[in-house]
Amino acid sequence: MKRWTCVEAGCSYELTAPDASAAVEGAQRHIAEEHGSFELEEMIEDVLEDVSDPPGIDLYDSR
Amino acid sequence: MATTDHQHLDPSVVAKFHFTREMIEGPVYRKYQKAIRKFWSVEDLDFTQDALDWGAIDDDQRRGLLGVTVRFLAGEQNVTNELVPMLAAAQTLRRFDWTVYLSTFLMEEAKHAEFFMRWHDKVVGVLEPEEVAQHFLVRGKTIDPSGRFEVRDVLHEALPYYGRRLLESTLGGEEAEIERAFVAFSAAYNAFVEGVLTMPSYEIVIDTTESWNAFPTLRQGFRLILMDEGRHITFGTYACRVLIEKDPSYEEEVHRVFDAYRGNIVGLVEYQKAVPGLDLNKYQVMKVRHYRNRCREMGITPDETLIEQILDPSIDFVVGVEAG
Repeated sequence: MKRWTCVEAGCSYELTAPDASAAVEGAQRHIAEEHGSFELEEMIEDVLEDVSDPPGIDLYDSR
Repeated sequence: MATTDHQHLDPSVVAKFHFTREMIEGPVYRKYQKAIRKFWSVEDLDFTQDALDWGAIDDDQRRGLLGVTVRFLAGEQNVTNELVPMLAAAQTLRRFDWTVYLSTFLMEEAKHAEFFMRWHDKVVGVLEPEEVAQHFLVRGKTIDPSGRFEVRDVLHEALPYYGRRLLESTLGGEEAEIERAFVAFSAAYNAFVEGVLTMPSYEIVIDTTESWNAFPTLRQGFRLILMDEGRHITFGTYACRVLIEKDPSYEEEVHRVFDAYRGNIVGLVEYQKAVPGLDLNKYQVMKVRHYRNRCREMGITPDETLIEQILDPSIDFVVGVEAG
């Protein structure tokens, strides 16, 4: 599992995804929808953290 | 043919070869492979609609858009010229994967310069230095009314300065000095200029062309360039991370660079304010995200005072209107 945390000022959004590709997709969607901006693929991939699997959850976000 | 008996090999012959299995599985070599896979060419782009759109916008819109694009035209030429010290240092530090990746980096910067040269030639009808220079917004007219911050020309001042220091360290051959100078150069080039200062400018052009429903090829070019820049920035911050993990005292070099040019990112500079009708606060706030991201990639602690200053609404620059 991969975890990504948004560091936009005033935002504490966090998502956990089954793999890097799903994390990139989720992070880009968050940045576009919540901040009207974009985040590049490499910039997301380079800061993903490995986390242990939460049972029964495929894609989790903190909202 | 593989053999495990290496006892008889001459080390000077072995030293002629640089690829390793670990290297070609590593993150920097993967960036090189991705750069090859994602190659694009300026020659494949069609500027016809952009030229028609240029004829349809008014003088204020032209001045605002050119204020940004001419900066990019100058900037991309400058970063192409300034990359050589990094290549020289990578070779001296015996990091062949960095050298291999940087070959695509340099080519891409030249291609970005070519894109802006072609766009200005085919859409605006300017190409010669004297023709484009008259649209370059003068930095000296951008001032902080409080007098606390100096807005400097980081691209044309910092990159040559840190580049020369890196080149001199490389020629000196002292590994720790090369590494320290590499971190300072990469902090200025990849983290500061590419990774924080310029990111709002990309969004300004993309938002502008979307809101005007015009200049599709300029927007397409910016998106293609951003795809390359994502690799450039994260190569630089990754290299900083590797070197800082080796010697944590190198982190100070990053903070020194950001501190020296603090004035350039606490407010928006003239070309970022040139396009009428944009929500400038969005571009100001996003710099915090980019700064925190660069620090996270480098594995260093962000300067919270700098973040507070970026977010402080009382810090704003007054911009003059004169162009070159």
